[in-house]
Amino acid sequence: MSGVFHAAILFLVAAGLQVVFGVQKIFNLACGSFYALGAYVGVSAVQAFTAAGGPPWLFVLPLAAAGLGVGAVGVIVERGLLRFVYDRDETFQLLLTFAVVLMMEDALRLTWGTAPRSTSALYLTYGQVRLLGAAVPVYNLIVIGASLAIALGIGWLLTRTVFGRIIRATADNREMAEALGVDIGRVYARVFTLGTALGTLGGALVIPATAAMSEMGIELIVEAFAVVVIGGLGSMRGAFVGALVVGILRSVAISVYPELEMLVIYLIVIAVLVLRPRGLFGGAAA
Amino acid sequence: MGTSRRDFLKQAGAGVAAVSVVGLPAAARGQARPGVPATPVKIGVLPIRAGIAAPVGAAGLRGTEWWAERVNKSGGILGRPVQLVVEEESNPKDTVERFRKLVLQDKVDIVLGGISTGVTLALGQAAEEMAFPWLSWDGTTQKGVDETMPNPKWAFRSVDNEVEAIAAGILTAKYFKGIKTVAGINNDYSYGHDCWQSYQAVLKKLGVEVKPVLELFPKLGVTDFTSHIAAIQQAKPDLLMTSFWSGDATILLKQAAAVGLFKTMKGVFTTAGGVHDSLKKQFTPEGLLLGYNSMYFDDPNGSALLKQFVREYKTKYNEYPPYECDHAYFCAESYKVAVEKAYAGARQWPAKEQLVKALEGIEVESLSGKRSWREDHIQMCNFYQGLTTHKNGYDFVTINPIEVVSTRQAMKPAGAKLLDWINSWKL
Repeated sequence: MSGVFHAAILFLVAAGLQVVFGVQKIFNLACGSFYALGAYVGVSAVQAFTAAGGPPWLFVLPLAAAGLGVGAVGVIVERGLLRFVYDRDETFQLLLTFAVVLMMEDALRLTWGTAPRSTSALYLTYGQVRLLGAAVPVYNLIVIGASLAIALGIGWLLTRTVFGRIIRATADNREMAEALGVDIGRVYARVFTLGTALGTLGGALVIPATAAMSEMGIELIVEAFAVVVIGGLGSMRGAFVGALVVGILRSVAISVYPELEMLVIYLIVIAVLVLRPRGLFGGAAA
Repeated sequence: MGTSRRDFLKQAGAGVAAVSVVGLPAAARGQARPGVPATPVKIGVLPIRAGIAAPVGAAGLRGTEWWAERVNKSGGILGRPVQLVVEEESNPKDTVERFRKLVLQDKVDIVLGGISTGVTLALGQAAEEMAFPWLSWDGTTQKGVDETMPNPKWAFRSVDNEVEAIAAGILTAKYFKGIKTVAGINNDYSYGHDCWQSYQAVLKKLGVEVKPVLELFPKLGVTDFTSHIAAIQQAKPDLLMTSFWSGDATILLKQAAAVGLFKTMKGVFTTAGGVHDSLKKQFTPEGLLLGYNSMYFDDPNGSALLKQFVREYKTKYNEYPPYECDHAYFCAESYKVAVEKAYAGARQWPAKEQLVKALEGIEVESLSGKRSWREDHIQMCNFYQGLTTHKNGYDFVTINPIEVVSTRQAMKPAGAKLLDWINSWKL
């Protein structure tokens, strides 16, 4: 179950990466920074909530609200920076998102300082249950459930709503969608904000179990890259399956042969790249 | 251990030096002794300001600033006010460049600081090449030092890093009799590997026949140990040993508490006391062996100096000081005492060669009591470890009893090989 918890968080970040790539064809290196931002804002929100006398058992509400709310920073990044490089070479887009990584890291340091920030003992609020003979924190189950619900929600959004159809049409053929009257600028802003919000929510949800550090996104972004390679660039189903593969494989490796923790993940990545270069679910955008 | 935004903005920025004359009353200026320049003494400081060790770096800088204020209020060093020139410790290459800047451009009298092993090994070489005195706060590992600083003339380095693990091994044999199996989780860099190896060697030498059932070495910076904890639960050791020392120790304890890990096994955290404020009672059980490195902030037998420092630190930063304050204070204070010692003989401000000579073997009063520089340029001090308790007025754990292990007990003599030395112990 520890692997599934990790996979649940990984899915949110990878899904953010996927939705942005699927529609805007931008490989957003800053998604790890948004994850870290969500973590810091989550800590501050929970601390403010409890300081204001909010009951500790309700801490997940301000946490989730803060994680989702801060996703609005996506609009600023997209409208303020990214839209100026859509017509440029992909290298510029990569450089720009990397610049956002560096700026975000400094912004986090300036705002929250350099020391790790945590929500103290709130992680233990809901206790633990025994599943398959092992003790599992109830909070982990909440996060796994939330991540699953979000996965289903995104599936519904993409396949059953008008906005979903517009997103898929834009992903398939931007010029055609534009010719049919779709406001591409608005779609891009919304999609990037959705991707950002998935990352920031992931950061907020993980924080009770860990501590916020400005460089925490770097650790996760590397695994998120592995997820998208395994699942297939731009595929939400790929993000889901890839996150499960990476999360569970890592957990199993640590239990069976700890030295191979990262090696097994990259062996799978190499195998996928060689045998199925587009990933398990690659090809179908979004 | 937060840095306020104002503090950060005031001090931060790679390559941007902060120059300050700290706590200097007007009356203290211009009273230099005969043979002593009237200009301020410039002291270069290199604290880490970003990443996982940033809180430790901040503590070292605060300890130095507190020392400087205290010295300036009492008239400076031989009448010369103290001025700190602060640069940032980051990667080895950049930090060495800043070291050179401090020496060549800022013309400091000495350089203090250095925490990361990779950086301190580079700084040691730079100090030797530039023939300039440098006192390291921390960071020097056995193997690296043997290779890069075998006989330093200008570099003064910290204790052997695995001393915490050796002290913990000695105390494990004392407090956790009857353990048969042990698991280790240590960071995947030289400090983590050295600590795990030393700890096992000490147990073996002391006749504690334990079987290592699991060795985990997560990368530095990993913040999710839930899979590691699941593996530890599966291995069912009698005891878990770790040398985690920063935010990762807190995260490990929190995630361990969430699955009740220490309900079924003992725990040894060799130096997690470095983040003692964050080891809340809700998730840090009683009865763990916890190390505080070379200063225990709550020592009832601590000196008036320690008590004053803790009180003022708490008032100023709203937290309790960790060990690095003591490392930094000791380095600065030993410089002052060495200057005064050399001056007493020559009646003039010492040249750097005379300063280095005066530092060798010197003993000074630091925050944790008497500390000294061994003749081979290694810090000598006490280490504080004990069993965690909830019986205190804080919301985090403290230790009781407090065991004090000196580096004379737990650090190999000059020139000895670590494992050969441990195996040579006469019991």
